[in-house]
Amino acid sequence: MDRETLEVDVLIVGGGPAGMAAALRLAQLQQAAGGEPLAIAVLEKAREAGAHVLSGAVLDPSALADLVPDYASRGAPLAAPVADDRVYYLTGRRQLRFPFVPPPLRNHGHYVVSLNALVRWLAEQVEAAGVDLFTGFAGQDVLMDGSRVVGVRTGDRGVARDGSRKAAYEPGVDILAKVTIFADGVRGHLTKQVLSRVPALQDGREPQQFAIGIKELWELPAGRLAPGSVIHTLGYPLRHEEFGGGFIYGLPDNQVSLGLVCGLDYRDPRFDPHMAFNRFKQHPLVAGILEGGTLVRYGAKALPEGGWNTIPRHYLDGALLAGDAAGFLNSMRLKGIHLAMRTGMIAAEAAFEAVAAGDTSAAGLARYQEKIDRSQVRAELFPVRNVHQAFGHGLLAGLVFSGLTVLTGGRWFEDLRGHAGHARMKTLAWYYGRRSGAAVASNATPIDRRTTFDRVTGVHYAGTAHDEDQPVHLLVQTDVCRSACGPEYGHPCTRFCPAHVYEIRPGPDGRPSLQINASNCVHCKTCDIMDPYQAITWVAPEGGGGPQYTGM
Amino acid sequence: MILVIAEQRGGALNRASWEAIAAAQQLAGDLPVSVAVLGSGVDALAGELAAADVAEVIAVDDPLLSGYTPDAVAMAIEGLVAARTPGTVVLPHTYQTRDCAPLIAARLRRPLVTDVTAIKGTGASATFVRQMFQGKLTAEVAPIGDAPVFVTVQVGAFRADAVRRGSGAPVSRVSVAIDAGRIRQTTEAPFQEAAQAVDLGQADRIVAVGRGIKAQEHVALAASLATAMRAELAASRPICDNGWLPMDRQVGSSGQTVAPKLYVALGISGAIQHVVGMKAARTIVAINKDADAPIFEVADYGIVGDLFEIVPALIAALET
Repeated sequence: MDRETLEVDVLIVGGGPAGMAAALRLAQLQQAAGGEPLAIAVLEKAREAGAHVLSGAVLDPSALADLVPDYASRGAPLAAPVADDRVYYLTGRRQLRFPFVPPPLRNHGHYVVSLNALVRWLAEQVEAAGVDLFTGFAGQDVLMDGSRVVGVRTGDRGVARDGSRKAAYEPGVDILAKVTIFADGVRGHLTKQVLSRVPALQDGREPQQFAIGIKELWELPAGRLAPGSVIHTLGYPLRHEEFGGGFIYGLPDNQVSLGLVCGLDYRDPRFDPHMAFNRFKQHPLVAGILEGGTLVRYGAKALPEGGWNTIPRHYLDGALLAGDAAGFLNSMRLKGIHLAMRTGMIAAEAAFEAVAAGDTSAAGLARYQEKIDRSQVRAELFPVRNVHQAFGHGLLAGLVFSGLTVLTGGRWFEDLRGHAGHARMKTLAWYYGRRSGAAVASNATPIDRRTTFDRVTGVHYAGTAHDEDQPVHLLVQTDVCRSACGPEYGHPCTRFCPAHVYEIRPGPDGRPSLQINASNCVHCKTCDIMDPYQAITWVAPEGGGGPQYTGM
Repeated sequence: MILVIAEQRGGALNRASWEAIAAAQQLAGDLPVSVAVLGSGVDALAGELAAADVAEVIAVDDPLLSGYTPDAVAMAIEGLVAARTPGTVVLPHTYQTRDCAPLIAARLRRPLVTDVTAIKGTGASATFVRQMFQGKLTAEVAPIGDAPVFVTVQVGAFRADAVRRGSGAPVSRVSVAIDAGRIRQTTEAPFQEAAQAVDLGQADRIVAVGRGIKAQEHVALAASLATAMRAELAASRPICDNGWLPMDRQVGSSGQTVAPKLYVALGISGAIQHVVGMKAARTIVAINKDADAPIFEVADYGIVGDLFEIVPALIAALET
């Protein structure tokens, strides 16, 4: 079959904060340099820019200020300056306010934002600078020539569920680029292909560690929570062995963002992050805020928590990795947007110089690493490189170590080791012994459909939609669901997926059978990360499908 | 020379043929333009086309062209190309062209530029503008290869009323060799696709079944109630996912949205995805075993109970 090919100088995969910052920086560099303009393309699987991004979000505007110095007069949607920081330790029924806010959580000078709105605004700046955004097109395969990345193949369109071609069939396009910047987000499925085909990128690196954030946007009775209020919680509903915490951010117009982040390295196979989120909302502190309000939006997204020592080498022949795809996130400050933007900008500079010099090999792109090592990115991430790993030893160890890090500037005897989170999940027999009982959520809590909801209702509020007649985009190539998983782990996919994609139903032969409700998927990547057998592979559905986040 | 293939069916020209002539006139510059019309009994159409400012109108009249088949049209155009040696062949990008143009270009091993929206330059040095990525990018295509280049122009991209009129072009008849034995298709009478079999949106009364029906064989019970009520049968998603009822009977966010006078929900829990598709019904009756099922929040009348007891009783009551 003949495919169309498109040749560009720089291809950016993913139109989130990293990809948009890279595109805008490239356009600026080109404008400053003059001469023959570079051909730049940005691929984004969401139908509209910003519809698949999800974050808390409190924005440190440092990278934005360097990228668009006049961002305020250009109307950047920074919803509310942070006015008030509070940190609580929660027990089942009470809260204990920290007498002071730990320095990494001080947000003076930062903004509570909707990342959807910020990315949509960035997209406008990018398009005004003359860069082509291909929204609604998903990259499906990395094109390689030996160990060199030469571009990306976009997904075919118009393929039926059974793999046959529908009337509107359109084969994917091969986009060939001198440099491809992978900014496909946390556990990006193309970055994952790159990492598996060039294993040397992870030599000497610790395994990446992830968390899942489940978030909702609510509209509240007037005056409930002032815009710019920032509340973080530790403790309940998570146990000391579970990493994570809650957040509640006040937005203008009586809206509030709230969510719970749970480490995807929990040991209890019956732990359920969505149930934990519901318990968080049932806690008196949170329930009091939500009382009488209405749910507006729901969403979920994984986040890379491992930090500096887990970031793979992020340059290779013909390609760079930026933002969450590479793991540039500061889990101690709970912030990654500014690092995504910063690494996108630096990637753009490295790509621009490499294209101009005519050397886009790994050697020509190595400057990316040098620039990052000299930038605020390293200055911020290196000292806290061990903090997340310390939380692997429990909440108390993590807190003590965080405090030490602040005092010592990160000096420690030897870097701490981490483990891939899925490998920490224990079997039912290990965790529960003989009293394992039914494989239901260990933290189950009844829903009231006023403040707490089931996952399927959440899916509705995520606005997620996919063409129903397309191949299932969650590849589960195993028989383990029917055989070992039930007795060993009790089908944890039915609990860690926040969108009710995975459902176990009795098959015709009476054995459990996996039903994949692929059209529910909110593209959070948790299943690809947390499945204890590592048998689930997330691939892109037809471009344009997915959640429809606004105001999140 | 530029050759336009006009499209006709049943003695009427497709309007897009005029648009193709306008495109050809723009492309031609100083080159002559000829227009060919293919069919059986096309003299009148040739006369109609002669109003355009073109060098020649060619009527290709052959009984084998009376109904459209891609093989016959391909052979006819192949013959025309041999007889007139055009530099470019322009066709309107109609369904028929989509069907036969790739065949002709492949058979002659000539370049084909499809769905062109604009033409830059004239003659052999012209480039053709077409959309890629569903219109997100426009590409300028310079064809490579031997003449003729086949170009199809997007319907509506050129204006039919922009065709330059002339003083009556000469009409000539060209006969081409069409080998009846090499026509692999036969033509059926055109048909209009039947309207969707089930339009739940029009139904006054709907009986809908959900997971509570438990097994495929029980769907017949719901169907009997629907018959007794003279209602349409519908379902929530799991029923259609299981293939127990066809997809076109699914109500909800990934199915149809309905607003009947009466909606009877049997064993439907009332997930919001279903409710958004039926909450506009005037009267909603829900039958469900689970008193906490959210369907009761939207129901006007609710029965908490076993549908396998209640539905047969309802049918019996309706039939007496």
